[in-house]
Order: sequence, then C-alpha cells, then structure tokens
Amino acid sequence: MSERPTFSPFWHRVRALRPRLRPHVQITRQHYRGRRWHVVHDPATNQFYRLNPIAHEFVGLLDGRRTVEEAWNLTLERHADSAPTQQEALQLIGQLYNANLLSIDVTPEVEQLLRRGRERVKRKAIGQVVGIMYFKIRLFNPDAIISAVEPILRPILNRWGFLAWLAFMLFAVSRLIPHQEELFSSARNAIAPANWGWLSVVFIVTKAIHELGHGVILKRFGRQVPECGMMLLVLFPAPYVDASGAWALSNKWQRIAVGGGGMIFELFVAAAAALVWVATLHTDGSLVHQLAYNAMFIASISTVLFNANPLMRFDGYYMLSDLIEVPNLMQRSQNMLKHYFKVHAYGLKREHPPTNSPSERWILNVYGVGSLAYRIFLFITITLHVMGIAFAIGLLLAIWTAAMWFILPIGKFVHWIAASPNLADKRARAVAVSLLMGGVVFTAIGVVPMPDHRRAIGVVESRSTSGIYVATDGFVREVLVRPGDRVRAGDVLVRMESPDLVERIAITRANVERLDSLLRQATQREPTTRDSIASQLASVRDQLAYWLDKQERLRIVSPHDGVVVGNDPALLIGAFLREGEGICEIVDDSDLRIVATLGQHENSWAVKAARGELDVHTEVRFVSRAPVRMPATIDEFIEAGQSALPHAALGYGGGGTIQTRSDDRQGRLATSKQFEMRLTPEPAREGAWTGVPGERVRLRFTLADKPLAAQWADRLHKLVQGRVTL
Amino acid sequence: MSQALTRYSALYASAMSRRRRPRTLTGLDRLTAWVQLKIRHQRTALRVLLREARQIDAMAASIRAHSEAALDEQVRLVRERFIRRDVTTDVVRRGLALVREVARRETGEEAYVVQLAAALGLYHGRIVEMLTGEGKTLTGSIAAPLLAWKHRSLHIFTVNDYLARRDAHSRGAIYARCGCTVGAIQQEMSPGDRFQVYARSIVYGTPKQITADYLRDQLRIGPLGSAWMGRAFLSRLGEEALASGAGPLIPGLRAALVDEADAVLIDEGVVPLIIAQPRRTDDMADVYRQAAFIASKLDEGPDYSIDALRRTSELKRRGRHLAAGMWHQLDHPIWKTVRRAEELVRQALVAKHCYLRGKQYEVVDGRVVIVDEYTGRFLADRTWEHGLHQAVEAKEGVDVTADRETLARMSFQRFFRSYPFLCGMTGTAADATREMEQVYARPVTRIPTHRPMIRKQLPTRVFLHGQDRWTAVLDEIERLHAANRPVLAGTPSIEASEHLSSRLAARGLEHRVLNALHDAEEAELVLDAGAAGAITVATNMAGRGTDIKLDPQARGAGGLAVILTEMHTAKRIDRQFIGRSGRQGDPGTAQIYASLDDELPRQYIPWAVTLLRRCARDGEIVWRSGARLALRLAQRRAEARARRSRASVLRQDDWIDKNLPGQ
Repeated sequence: MSERPTFSPFWHRVRALRPRLRPHVQITRQHYRGRRWHVVHDPATNQFYRLNPIAHEFVGLLDGRRTVEEAWNLTLERHADSAPTQQEALQLIGQLYNANLLSIDVTPEVEQLLRRGRERVKRKAIGQVVGIMYFKIRLFNPDAIISAVEPILRPILNRWGFLAWLAFMLFAVSRLIPHQEELFSSARNAIAPANWGWLSVVFIVTKAIHELGHGVILKRFGRQVPECGMMLLVLFPAPYVDASGAWALSNKWQRIAVGGGGMIFELFVAAAAALVWVATLHTDGSLVHQLAYNAMFIASISTVLFNANPLMRFDGYYMLSDLIEVPNLMQRSQNMLKHYFKVHAYGLKREHPPTNSPSERWILNVYGVGSLAYRIFLFITITLHVMGIAFAIGLLLAIWTAAMWFILPIGKFVHWIAASPNLADKRARAVAVSLLMGGVVFTAIGVVPMPDHRRAIGVVESRSTSGIYVATDGFVREVLVRPGDRVRAGDVLVRMESPDLVERIAITRANVERLDSLLRQATQREPTTRDSIASQLASVRDQLAYWLDKQERLRIVSPHDGVVVGNDPALLIGAFLREGEGICEIVDDSDLRIVATLGQHENSWAVKAARGELDVHTEVRFVSRAPVRMPATIDEFIEAGQSALPHAALGYGGGGTIQTRSDDRQGRLATSKQFEMRLTPEPAREGAWTGVPGERVRLRFTLADKPLAAQWADRLHKLVQGRVTL
Repeated sequence: MSQALTRYSALYASAMSRRRRPRTLTGLDRLTAWVQLKIRHQRTALRVLLREARQIDAMAASIRAHSEAALDEQVRLVRERFIRRDVTTDVVRRGLALVREVARRETGEEAYVVQLAAALGLYHGRIVEMLTGEGKTLTGSIAAPLLAWKHRSLHIFTVNDYLARRDAHSRGAIYARCGCTVGAIQQEMSPGDRFQVYARSIVYGTPKQITADYLRDQLRIGPLGSAWMGRAFLSRLGEEALASGAGPLIPGLRAALVDEADAVLIDEGVVPLIIAQPRRTDDMADVYRQAAFIASKLDEGPDYSIDALRRTSELKRRGRHLAAGMWHQLDHPIWKTVRRAEELVRQALVAKHCYLRGKQYEVVDGRVVIVDEYTGRFLADRTWEHGLHQAVEAKEGVDVTADRETLARMSFQRFFRSYPFLCGMTGTAADATREMEQVYARPVTRIPTHRPMIRKQLPTRVFLHGQDRWTAVLDEIERLHAANRPVLAGTPSIEASEHLSSRLAARGLEHRVLNALHDAEEAELVLDAGAAGAITVATNMAGRGTDIKLDPQARGAGGLAVILTEMHTAKRIDRQFIGRSGRQGDPGTAQIYASLDDELPRQYIPWAVTLLRRCARDGEIVWRSGARLALRLAQRRAEARARRSRASVLRQDDWIDKNLPGQ
C-alpha cells in the first residue's frame, strides 16, 4: 500500500509563495505508452523536466498571482485523490526551482544560485572522473556549422530522402556481393598495425560525419545543438554532440530520427566507401583502396556494434527508449531489478516498483538483465583489449572501472544496508540475506575447487619420418607414387636409369669373362701366373657386384610403411639427379606425436607436468575431426623459450592463434617467446587413428581443481608478470 | 542615524543567521569531517584542559593578593585583549583565573580544578559532561564572561524561566564586574522588554522563548534572500521607523551556552516550535467527530492494524469497506475524496490507540494538553499538527479546536545549528557523543568528578507482569521507608504515577506526588524529598534541574534511594533520573524495576519477551543477566530509532533549505 499523506510539515515554506514558470521555458507535450506527459525545457541551460498531466496543471496554475496554497487547493478540488500531496507539490516546486525553471517572487538568493552553479560543476567533474571510460572534452558550439549544412541537405531530409538512402544502401551491398572473397581475405589487413594511423584518421572523420548527422536532423526539426566536443571513448578520441534538444520533440518518430541520424549518415559513408573499394579493386593495395576499405569497415561495423547497440548508452539506446516509449530505460530497469531484490530478498514490502504497468515491467526486466550481463561482458573485453594495447594504462583503467562499476556500488550497497532508514525494521534480515549471498558467492569463488583448464595449440607430427634420397646418380625414369600415397615397406617409389652404369657393368662383365678365361688357361698352362689372375678376377667381380648393387639402387623403395609427403616426385621425371639429392619424404603415420607451443606464463605448471610432478590430464581435439577427443601424455617440455615456431600452422599466418611478426614472410617467428611441449596421443585402442601429420590440434590441460579465485589470481599474476619490470 | 545603523546591523545579522546553518554531510565528506573534528579538538582534549586548569589554579595565589581596584584593572586589561581579538592561550588562562577570583569575591564560591577544566572546555566549544551536583552553575558563570567578551553576545539556555531569572540575578554581580550586562527572558515579557534584554551581552532564557523570538523575527523579515538584502532592508527600515520600530528582537545569533545540552539539542531537538494561526474558514470540528465515530466502529484485527512504533495505522479491506459505507452517508465535501477520508479515519485510529490520556496528553479544564515525553511537563501552548490534535480532542469528547495552519516552524536542532559558536553542559552527554559530533560538530568531554561518587547502582529486577512489578516496588518502598531513608520513585507517565500513588495510599504509606498535574507544588516537594523517610513519586519532571538536598538523618540512613519503575526509551533519561541520588559525594542507591509488559520490551524485542517468559519464577525473571541484556538491547534499538528519525528530519530540513528560497 502506498501511503501518501496529504499534509507536509514543511508546507509553510511554500504556501504563501507566488511562483511562476520562467517566461522563456518551453513546454512540449509527449506521449509515452498512451499517457500524456509534458516536458519542460529551459533552452538557456538545456535542462529538462518531465511532468505528468496533473503536475503540469498544477504548475500551470502557478502564474505568479496565485499562491502555492491556492493552486494546490484548486488541483485538489479538481482531481481529488490523484492530486499531488503537499509533499509532492513541495518536491515539484523545489526541483523546478532548483533547475531554474521556476521563478519565485522573492529577491533572488545569490548564495543559493551560486551554490547551485558550483554543485553543477562539481557534479559534472565527478561524473567525468567516474566515467573515465567516456571522458568528455567540451570544444565549441557547432551551431554555425550545422546551420550551414542543414539548408543544403534540407530537400532530402524527408521520407523520400530516406527511401533514396535505403536504395543506395542496397545498391552498395549488391555491388559488394560478387567480391565477397576479396572482402574477407583482406579482413586481416584492416587491423594490421601498419594501417593503424589511417584507421584512426578515418575513424575520427566518419564519426564526425556521424555527429553531424545528429545535428543536422535535430536542426531540421527546429532544435539546436549547444555543444560538441571530443569524447575519449576507452582512451580513443571520438567526437560527440549534445543532442539532448531532441528530448523536447513531441513526435517520437522525430526523436528516433535524430537518434538514428548519425547512423544514417555514417552508413552512407560506408556505402560510398564500398563503391570506391569495388572500383579500385584492380589497384590492389593502393592507398585509396585501403582507405576505402577502412572507411567501409569502421562506418559499418562500429556503427552496428556500438551505436546501434541498445545495451550501451549510445544512439541505439535512445532510439529503443523512444520506440518502446519507456523513458529513462536504463536507470529504471536497474531500479526494477533492485526492487525485486528488496522485496523478495529483504522483505521490504512497502517499496514502490519503478512502474506498475505490466508491459513496461516486462520490458524493464528484459532490458535490466540484458544490460547488466552486457556491462560485465564489456568490462572484461574492453579491459583485456586495452591491456593488450597499452598494458599499464589498461591496468589502471581496469582498476578504476572496477572501482566505479563494482566497488563503488558495493560500497553504496553496504552503506545502504547499514544506514538506510527504509531498512530500519528489516535490517537484521537484510544483513543476514546479504551475508548469506556474499557467503555463497565467496564459497563458490574462493573455496569450492573448480576445474582449472589451460589451453594451447599444437601440431601433429610423425615421430619417424624418412627422407627419400637418390642413392645412385641417374635419370628419373618412372615415378610410382604421388604425395599422399600410402606405401608399405619395400614398395618401389621411383625407378631411375643410368646409361653410364649400364656401360660400366657391361665393361666389368667383359673383364670378368676375360679374366675367367685367362684363369682357365693359366690353370692348365702356366700355374705360376694363376694366383695373380685369380686375385684380379676377384677384384673385378667385387667391382661388378658394386655396380650391380648401384644399379639395384636405382629402384628406390620405401624404407617403412607410411605416407608420401613433400614435393611431388613426378616433377622429376627425366631429370638427372645426383646421389644424395632428396626426392620426397615418407612419414610413418602410425607413430605420431604432438608438438605444442605454450606462452611463457604457462611455464610453471608445464615444467612440473613434464617431470611428472604434477598430475595433468591432457585432452586433444582435432581440427579436422571435431568429435574425436583423446588423452595424451606429456613427454617433454623444452624449458628454453624461442621465437621460431615448430610449425607455421601454429602462427597467425597458418591459421593458428600465436601472433607472428609482421616482417616474417614465412610466418614462423612469434612476437613473444614460445615454449615447446611434446606429447604422445593415446587412442583408446591400439593403432587407432590419431590424426594426420601437420594437422592443427587444440589441447586442453586439466590441472588439479582449484577455487576460481585462485585461478583468476594466477592468471592475473601471469598477465602482469613479464610485462611489468620492477 | 546611529540608531538606524544599529537597526540595520541587527536586521542584517538576524537574516544572515539563516545562511550559516551547516549542511549535513554524507558519505566520505562525513567521514573526513569527523576525522577533522577529532584532530582539531585534540588540542582541547581532557588532559590538555586539566593541565591548563592546574596552571590557572597555580595563578590563584598571586591574583588573590590583588586589591579590588587592581583586580578590576586586570579584568579590564584582559577584556580588552578579548575585544581586540588578540587572544592567546595565555590571555585565556589569565582571563579565567581573574573571573574565578571575581566569582570567589562576589559569591564566595571558588571553582575547583575540574570546574576550571570544564569552563575551558566550554570556552573551546565543547559539550561538557559534568555529573549532577558538580557545580554546573558556577562553571557556566565563569565561562560566560570570557565567551561574552569573545563573541560580543552570549545566550545562556536554561531549563526553565525560574532558573533563568535566578541565575541572571545571582550571577549578575560577577558579570557586572567583568564588564558584561546581563538579562533574563521571561515568558510574560513584552516585546519591548525583550528587545532591551536581547541587547545585553549575556542573555539567560529558555530555548523555547529564544527560539520563538528568533522565529518571529524571521517571519517579520520575510522570505528575503541576500542579493538585494541591503536595499530591501533599508526600505523596510524606513517603514518601520514610521511604525515605531519592531525590528528583530534578537540582534543576530553569535554564541550559545546550553545547559542540559542533551535534552535541548537531542531529546527535544526535533520537536518543532510552531507559530500557527487558526484557519480562517474552519468547519472541520464535525468531521473529526465523525472520523472518531467511524474509528470507534471498527475492530482492530479484522478491520485495521496498528503500528505502535511508527504510530501509523492501516485499514484492511474489510475495514475500508465498512468505513466507506459510513462516510458515504456523510455530506461534508471532505468525505468525497477517498484518500483524505481514509487518512482521517486512520488518524482517528492512531489517536485512539497510540495517544493515551495520562501518557502522551492529559485533559485539563476541557483542553487536551500535551505531556512532554522527556521532562514529564505540560507543553501548554503546543498542539499536534495536521489534525492529530483535533482527532485526539474528538476522541476525548472535548471541544474540537480549530485546525491551525503553520506560519513558521523551527526545531531546536535547526535553531542551534544556526549559532556559529555553540557549547553546552549536561549530566549525561556521553551516550549522545556521536550525534553531537554529527549534527552539531561539537565534541563531548567527560569531566571527572571533584569528589568520588559513592552511589550504589543495584541490579535491575525484571518481572513478568506489571502487577508483579508494582508489588515488588511497593514492598521495596515499604522496606526503605522503614529504614528511614528518603525514597524517590520514578514513573514514566502521569497515569503510572497516579497508579503508584493510589497503591501506596492503600498500604497506608504517606507520600507526595510530583507530576505535571501538581507542578505548582514542585519547589516545596523537592525541598521535602530529601527528608528522612520521605516518599516521593515523580514523573520525569524530577529528572532535570532538581536538586534534592538530604537532611543529616537521611544521609546517615544511607541517602536517597531512587527506584525507577520502568525503563525509559533512552538510557540518558534513566541516568538523569538516577542522578538525583548520590550528589556531591552523598551516599545513595538506585535500582530499576522493569516488567515485560512495559512498552519498551513489547515494542522493541517481542521475540526476547517470549523467550524470557519461560525463565520466570514467582513472577520475576530468574535469568537476570539475560533480561538485563535484552532490555539494554531494546533501549539501544529505541535510541537508534529516535536517532534515525532525528536524522531524517534534519535531511528534510536541509533539502528544503537547499531547494527553496527564503527562511
């Protein structure tokens, strides 16, 4: 039950006053979810105040001639129960007066005015510090620029213009579709460090056009932009304009148009850039081509990710808020969640919910949960991202944001629990429930051991790989295998021929025959020469055997079972190869192992695991066959870090996850030191498939269960380690 | 011309006093302010004060040797230093030593070292806790000249008009020799006389009188801001010169010395002082009677529920239905608006259940008179606001007075925060240290006693039912009476005091009753209360400023025995009452008799009450330590609740000051 006592003990402070709205204050009428509201707008200070119809009527009665009491009595007569109570009227007058919307028939209190001004400045400063992730630097009044641009664009700022814009968008997309492949192949170029300078220039220009879009459309509806400047959005400068003038627009579609104006302009830029990009495709790599690509990239992706996203307080949020006609969506949805908490966890049955309309309540629930989850997600990603770019700043930023987003609210919460007058009678319960919940969270994070997983990337390689080399100089006559062919031991791979060898054999054979007959004659006639001939014959026979053996080795066979890899030997047909030249490789795929690289912060456990001091369960997942998972044992961990990767497949270029140096053509030099680990996969049954050599695998190491807090601390420690030198 | 200038400066000072009110701080600001306060006042901590006091004491011999003329000359010299704002530690020391000597020569009382320390504490703006009978009056009168010199004018707040008059008179000689003029504000004074008194450098008065005068001044000045204040003042001055002058009575607020500071600043801190006038058109008398009638037809439980703590009621579905059936037949327009109608019925219910005759109010000569919760006295000219008073009148069937509309209101809390300099004395401030620091930014110092305290505090006895308690109290009184000791029995309400009185009469014990109904005999009663074998039944009226002097026989018998028949919601009030015994090293005993039926345990620790009920034998709780702990907890909760409600009033006051123009 809501209790609204009619009387207020402080009524005497206002009852005899004769206030009136300041003459320059504008009032517009708006509709939210079928209900009428009046927005009071002071163009001088750009302050807004929303009134419900009865409050509006009450304020309307304050004409400078009636006293507050008379006006209040009149409202009471007309509206009986729905009229504001004295307390409400008092608050209303106080707020309007404080917002400088109301003038009161007393001499102005300079003291109060000055203090208000000081407080506004202070509030703003505190807001800046709290929201350091959105630090604003005010620059100038952009009205002159916008006023210059707006008349030019006015003929197309209407629904026909919008349709034309849509058509242009479709046209641009249709031109892009045939070039899909190029579009995505150069995706990596867009964010390569070499392009960063251009990227920021393009970013600022497109964002400026975006802001101009807001301003121009606002101007089109007859309002002004009083302020523009630079916002340091997560330390990245982005222009902004103060488009709060839109709040006073009475048509919600106009408000949405102002909110969407920025994106419309920006997407137009994106579409134009897309056309330029398509047109310059043939000049692959030219600056214009690259810039067009960047512009297209920023103006579309960032717009969709940031501005259109209603979960952040950018354009999308205000558009959504206007569209579903729920003003102040974010704050009220947060209040809604808090309200549930207060009612159900703390038993504060008297708390007022932020809304009583069921549909609005539903919206607030959905939005509240969504934005909360998104906020946490955003905090983590932004922090990690910034840490990646500038570690120290990132760390400070993270600590600051954590303080503002988490510690400050927790502190406020504790204060609320300890001192809120609303909780007076339920404090014991509130403390108990909070402690219990805190305890549950603490136990879950700090005490209950949770699986601790570490991940790495690796490559399958064979333990026995034989190079096939030419054993005898000769011409390649016939090639029997191609790379990828499976061969058994003794299978012929290549046949060669050597005319030279044939000739030598023929000569040697002739020699043998000659010496043979000589030997026979000597045995009969000259026994004294027999011995020397016999020894000559033996040596020539040896020679023959040697040549024959050489000839035999012109037929190259596989030394063991395996798969042919390497260059295609067929290319060698007809070529003359000297002894020792390589032909191909035979990889034995029945005896495979995995080579993985780990970053240096995984060092500590990996060393122990390789020595067998730590029990680590390792699981291998194959890129080619996703469902196959098999355990593996760690054989070896090489404790010396090296930049060279064991395999190009591990680096960025080869599709892996390890960042490689941009100046390395082969993509085998990592930007940071990597540690090599060798593992043996252990299939469930002997001889089962254990991957293909050269294939990339993902490894998951399961360490001993540890509470989450310890794991996080460990990870944070690693993140800091090696980056900060003390 | 010079008169106009004085007027102007008075007007200006009066208006400016509004702007000086400190803002209540929140969050970190509050913490830093608190730390600052602690650090700043380290320089005037107790041990520093005592050391200084001993040094002053050491100067006595040389000063005592001065002739009268030489002393006057010395005083003049020191005073000049103060007026020239050329004050060093040495000057303060010297000044205090001289004033002490003046006081000794004029009244024959010489301040002890602890009193000097307390006076120094006052001089440095502290709230000084001195146990009852430790010579607060003397302490105040040696600090006052120094404060008056330094701040040009000093208001000394006393508990009642009589004390104001008495002190102004008895201390006048000291002040006169110190070059200060003195006066006392009395209720019956005309504005012209008041104006004369306020012009003096030391003004005695009750908080109520001075606050009311200030409030009237503020009303007269109107909702003026500071911007064009000078011009507006001058134009006003012109008019008023013609109308033969009713400028502000009080020429600004400079310094205040508050006696019984905790009572004034804290207990009564938020009770608003209201200047009201009857509404021009008032036809509400019938409405309140109708509401009382409807309320009498409803049943607690099925129809409505009462929250005794918050003093609110809530209509249930059935009750609302029933009530609506009744008010629909009534033709006053107010019954047509549901919210207002419901509010009236709820108010009538609250009047019925939470406001009891003999406790919160008494009916005197067909009028409802509020009884002050803390002092037990009638607040003759106060009324409850927003129809509550009328609802109570309707309930009692007396004439329903016209609803009044508030023209101005001011709580003591707000008023005393307007003083740039504030200090105070009390017997029981230690329990309110935190609040003194937070609300008034005044630190609290506990001054040790001059003579050791030998009063014995006997363990609290807790009974199952009120009846058991009364029996035990009667037995105890009888026993003490037989032992020839004077007995002072404290009761929380008029009703309870009358009840105890009738029980005593039934047992044939001769006794006297001191409550708001018999306040005329107060002085005489107090005089007799210290006689051997005297039995006095008193409400909290006896708690403040009552000095019960023992006769030798009574002292021999073991001194005054204080029996408290119920625990008050604030520990300070209990301590205050107990402090009637054991004054200035007298012997005495004190004991509290509580019951589980009392409001305090019932409202604040209902769960403990059910638990304790099981530990009773012969109507008394045997698990004494548990019961005492529970009652102390209840008291703490009650104190916390009161503190919160004061804080919330303060917040509202601040919000208004910040967001609305004018006073």
